[in-house]
Amino acid sequence: MTENVLTVTSLKAYYRMAYFGVDREVRAVDDVTLSVRKNEVYGIAGESSSGKTTLIKTFASAIRPPLKIVGGSMTYHFENGDIDPYAAPKAKVDALRWSHLSYIMQGSMSLLNPVRRIRRTFEDFAFRPMGLPSSEFWGRVESHLQRLDLSPNVLSAYPHQLSGGMRQRVTIALATVCQPEFVIADEPTTALDVVVQKDVLAMIRDVQRQMGSSVVFVTHDMSVHANIADRIGIMYAGRLVEEGPTRTLLAAPRHPYTAHLVASLPRIGDTTPKVALEGRPPNLAEPPTGCRFHPRCPLAIEKCTTDVPPLEPVGLDHRSACWRSAEVRPLTRIGHQELEVAG
Amino acid sequence: MLAVVRDLIRYNKEFTIGAVLVAIIVGFSCLSFFSPVDPTLVYLVPPERPPSTEYWFGTNSRGQDLFWQATFAIRNTLAFGLLVAVLSRIISLTVGLVAGYIGGWVDRVLMSINDVVVALPIFPILVLVYFVLRADLTTLKLAIVMACFGWPFDARLIRSIAVGLRHREFTHHAVFAGMSARKIMFEEHLPYVMPIVLSTAMANMIWSIGLSVTLAVLGFTDLNIPSIGTMLYWANNHSAMVVGTWWWIAVPVVLVVVTFVGLYLLAVSLNEYIDPRSRLRRMGGAALVSATSTLVAEGGAAPVPTLGADVRGEPEGRP
Repeated sequence: MTENVLTVTSLKAYYRMAYFGVDREVRAVDDVTLSVRKNEVYGIAGESSSGKTTLIKTFASAIRPPLKIVGGSMTYHFENGDIDPYAAPKAKVDALRWSHLSYIMQGSMSLLNPVRRIRRTFEDFAFRPMGLPSSEFWGRVESHLQRLDLSPNVLSAYPHQLSGGMRQRVTIALATVCQPEFVIADEPTTALDVVVQKDVLAMIRDVQRQMGSSVVFVTHDMSVHANIADRIGIMYAGRLVEEGPTRTLLAAPRHPYTAHLVASLPRIGDTTPKVALEGRPPNLAEPPTGCRFHPRCPLAIEKCTTDVPPLEPVGLDHRSACWRSAEVRPLTRIGHQELEVAG
Repeated sequence: MLAVVRDLIRYNKEFTIGAVLVAIIVGFSCLSFFSPVDPTLVYLVPPERPPSTEYWFGTNSRGQDLFWQATFAIRNTLAFGLLVAVLSRIISLTVGLVAGYIGGWVDRVLMSINDVVVALPIFPILVLVYFVLRADLTTLKLAIVMACFGWPFDARLIRSIAVGLRHREFTHHAVFAGMSARKIMFEEHLPYVMPIVLSTAMANMIWSIGLSVTLAVLGFTDLNIPSIGTMLYWANNHSAMVVGTWWWIAVPVVLVVVTFVGLYLLAVSLNEYIDPRSRLRRMGGAALVSATSTLVAEGGAAPVPTLGADVRGEPEGRP
């Protein structure tokens, strides 16, 4: 068993708002327990408004009101010791940023300041955490860019002079230049076409392997997960419903939601019509009782409407939160070849 | 930067004219450094001579050569306008960026002060200041007082931009990276508002010069310092129009009008440069071509000129 970099225990993060005297609570992350190991890519999947982005915002300790941590704990195990970002002093958490923990935010194409040259952005973000003398610092930056197949010339360009794909790669280079132990990436490939997407994914994978760091990767696109993730966690309505190694999860999902999600993957030669799930994701301000998936679940029984299923092991390294997990069958058979890609 | 100026001169007639006029005025004021006479001394030359080859701008009733007098006058006036513009820009940038970025009650307090200052009647206050300080009212003090009234319009403008920048992704990114609020405001957001500040600075110079001339014409200033305003004051004092020494009035008026027109044209053309739509229309395809040809990045570079930013220019120095 390898070591964990991040341990999260029954984490609850709610948006708390008061409108016209009525308090509303949006339970975007509810009772999530997971751990991210050293040197792995952990993918978080789920449909829109399932709480993916909120979850990783809490990971990055980049939360701001109305989002609040309501319960649970979260601990990073970095080389220089354990730290809980919500208990540690602010200065200590700030020191982690970029050098140990970096975050590629959503919309990474617009993360670079349009009126500053890339060089200045690198200087702003990485110079202080890296703590190197000027010449050495730029040497490191340039060699890092070269490793990512970017010409050091991009340093003297403005963001608008680069294409979307290059900007995205520059952003990833910026996030990884300090060799952080933990990288959080929020949909880094959205808005890219598949060819550039493939390059960017390969680049993230390469960087992760070279640095031996851990990457938490969020996207709703299951095919991206199949390509890059070592393990996948499936979010539904603010809860982690299933977690397992990519191959196992794709070939033998043990939660009905995952089964449908996997079946939605387009595959070459597949002519059977896709089975669509009825309904929409629930309103997180008033989530359904019991299992949050039960109104849409084809396997739902009486118990599902009242009792919340715990996330329990169903196989090697594989956990599922379903009362009838033993009865879940994959809706489509994933071929051998496709799993090769996934590996 | 130089390339931008070159393009502006090539494609923008207003900018060219404005730049030439301002250059003439600045060049003229620089002549004061080579002046053979002290502008504060009187009765050095025969009085009330009309413009001639000997005295290009004529002489006044106080026995001063108006040519050299005017060089000092325009220099002091320009310097005053520049000083007020710089000082008020410091206030408006600070207030605007802080109010826009920090927001909340800071924003409300600063903008309330801002609105109060907008509503204050400036001219009576300046006259009052003169009567309180009298001989103590040096150019610097007057500039500080005027800067205290010249910032609120631009502070609002800058705030409105900063409010938008605060919610842009790159700001969130910078906050996450642990950049301090001061650094974000003055390093990340400042370059964004700079072109606008540059344009409003010219308008502010026109405003402050106009006000200082008014004060001086009425005698509410140190009359021994040669400036456009004091020249007019002395001309009135010696009833130049009645006596017929029209050149005494014409010289400062022409100088200040040329200054105003030049600064106004610069401000307007810069405004047009800042607005990407009008800039593109004006420059047409030529700017696009030159922008593409000087792209630094190789592979996948997109030929899209974007707002505000200097598209070309020299690479910046390293830290």
